[in-house]
Amino acid sequence: MGKKALVIDDNKNNLMLEKDLLEVAGFEVFEAENASSGIVIARMEKPDVIIMDVRLPDMRGSEAARILRQDRETSDIPIIFVTASVFPEGKEELKDIANSGFIGKPINTRTFAKEVREYIE
Amino acid sequence: MVSKESTTNVQEYAESIIDTIREPLIVLDQDLRVLSVSRSFYEVFKVKPEETVGQLIYDLGNKQWDILKLRELLETILPQEATFDDYEVEHDFATIGKRIMLLNARQIKRVLGKERIILLAIEDITERREIEAGFEKTRKELEIIKKSADEAIEFAESVINTIREPLISLDQDLRVVSVSRSFYEVFKVKPEETVGQLIYDLGNKQWDIPQLRDLLETVLPQKTTFDNYEVVHNFTTIGRRVMLLNARQIESLSGRERFILLAIEDITERKEIEDGLEKAHKELEVLAAELERTARAKSEFLANMSHELRTPLNSINGFSEVLYDETFGKLNEKQKKYVTNVLTSGKHLLLLINQILDMAKVEAGKMKLSLAFIPIKNILYEISLLVEDMVGKKQLDMQLEIDEDLPEIEADELKIKEILYNLLSNAVKFTPVGKIGMRAKRKGSSIEIVVWDRGIGIAKENMGKIFEGFFRVDTPYSRVTEGTGLGLPLSRKLVELHGGELFVESDGLNKGTAVRFSLPILSRKAV
Repeated sequence: MGKKALVIDDNKNNLMLEKDLLEVAGFEVFEAENASSGIVIARMEKPDVIIMDVRLPDMRGSEAARILRQDRETSDIPIIFVTASVFPEGKEELKDIANSGFIGKPINTRTFAKEVREYIE
Repeated sequence: MVSKESTTNVQEYAESIIDTIREPLIVLDQDLRVLSVSRSFYEVFKVKPEETVGQLIYDLGNKQWDILKLRELLETILPQEATFDDYEVEHDFATIGKRIMLLNARQIKRVLGKERIILLAIEDITERREIEAGFEKTRKELEIIKKSADEAIEFAESVINTIREPLISLDQDLRVVSVSRSFYEVFKVKPEETVGQLIYDLGNKQWDIPQLRDLLETVLPQKTTFDNYEVVHNFTTIGRRVMLLNARQIESLSGRERFILLAIEDITERKEIEDGLEKAHKELEVLAAELERTARAKSEFLANMSHELRTPLNSINGFSEVLYDETFGKLNEKQKKYVTNVLTSGKHLLLLINQILDMAKVEAGKMKLSLAFIPIKNILYEISLLVEDMVGKKQLDMQLEIDEDLPEIEADELKIKEILYNLLSNAVKFTPVGKIGMRAKRKGSSIEIVVWDRGIGIAKENMGKIFEGFFRVDTPYSRVTEGTGLGLPLSRKLVELHGGELFVESDGLNKGTAVRFSLPILSRKAV
């Protein structure tokens, strides 16, 4: 049975590309364009991994992660942030979030799905 | 008739007169033999009575008196005139030296039982002459002094009249003694209403300035001098003036009294210029701040723009990559070729944007290095492997001379890799055939890396342009898609950010190129 992945990104192109790459790799993919709806879907679907942009229209990715961690239903779901920031201060806000990692932007289409899979296994 | 007794008395009387007078006196008979001599004669001419009386005058004092002038007087003039007055005779005596004498003589008949006697008074005027000569000298010196004093006064006056700075001299009652021409000109006053006036009354009491009163009446008596007092005053004739006052209190040459020299420099214009300069300076500062803001805004704009450009470009590249990989189905030959072009152009554009962003960051001082000790030797080999593909395709020969004992250096690994990749790929790009290479060695507290090639080189006239950005040597070997023109300038900036230096050397067109750069082993930024 395929793993469930939730992709949260306000950029429709990124969303589509990541979804397609994950689906090709055998994931069942759910999509959200902002943090709030992403959190709702996460509670409903309980995905195996959440792939989330750091900058979202309604809140920071780190804040969305804190909300997910406070909820018992979602507190254990691994979170992978997609971020363009390679600077230490960019990563600083993410380092305290348990069970989280990040993938650099732009994603490598050839390795993206593999990176996600490796992270949750 | 004169009795013998009275004659003796008279003779005694005469002799006591002779002995009393200070002037040497000698009495001769008609044969010019000495009858008697005054005491002062002995004293003055250092002769003794026993070798004097009865002697021929010329034989006196060992013939010292054989004076030609005296012979002439006694033997020629006196027989004719019976008297002579104030004959000046100069003679060098063996005993007493050079003497100047004034001779007076009287020939008297039938006195003292003689047919004829001669009274010769000898006045030694040597000292008097010397004093007179001294007087004359002093008088002449005084004349010179007076002349030079006059000249000095004239000189001083011409100095006063020549200098541009208004100058006024005052007596101790602060009345004007004299004024330089420039004073009249600058302060629009007339000589006739100036000299003799109290300074405060000048120009219709315009000079009654409290600050000036304070300076002249309080400061000067205590200090005898003051310098560069700035006084601002609103004159009715010439308006508001800023003046710089300098004063000296001088004892008059004649010691008569003190007077005061007051120099007045009108610095109104200078002040205006200074104020203008200050204003200009402030405007410049504002402008500089504005420029800095603009530069920062430009950098921020570039950074934002780069981000905004990259987001859609990442989509273009991501989708074309998936298409190219035929993830969702096979492409025909044309489709494959087109998508390859989209992908190549997209990646080139991304490189350009990234480098522009980096340049903007460096220029805005926002490029931050992640410093760590990195194994530079391994990195050099690693990057050389990255370009090996390109080197192989062009059938170039790559030579590496990397010192075994190269130390780890404190640097930003990603930036160092970027520099090395830029330079090595440039070497490959601009070398159609032949060799390229890289040398690395320790040099003091730095390491030195040289990336060289035997390629197309750089013409002298282009040497200055290669760091300007977007400059690429136009050759058949460099196509647009091969580079951005930003690799070298960005590499230099990144090297400099690490505290190193980067130089490009080329002997000219087709003579190859060497890029030499240094990286400190310990980053200066880390301190």
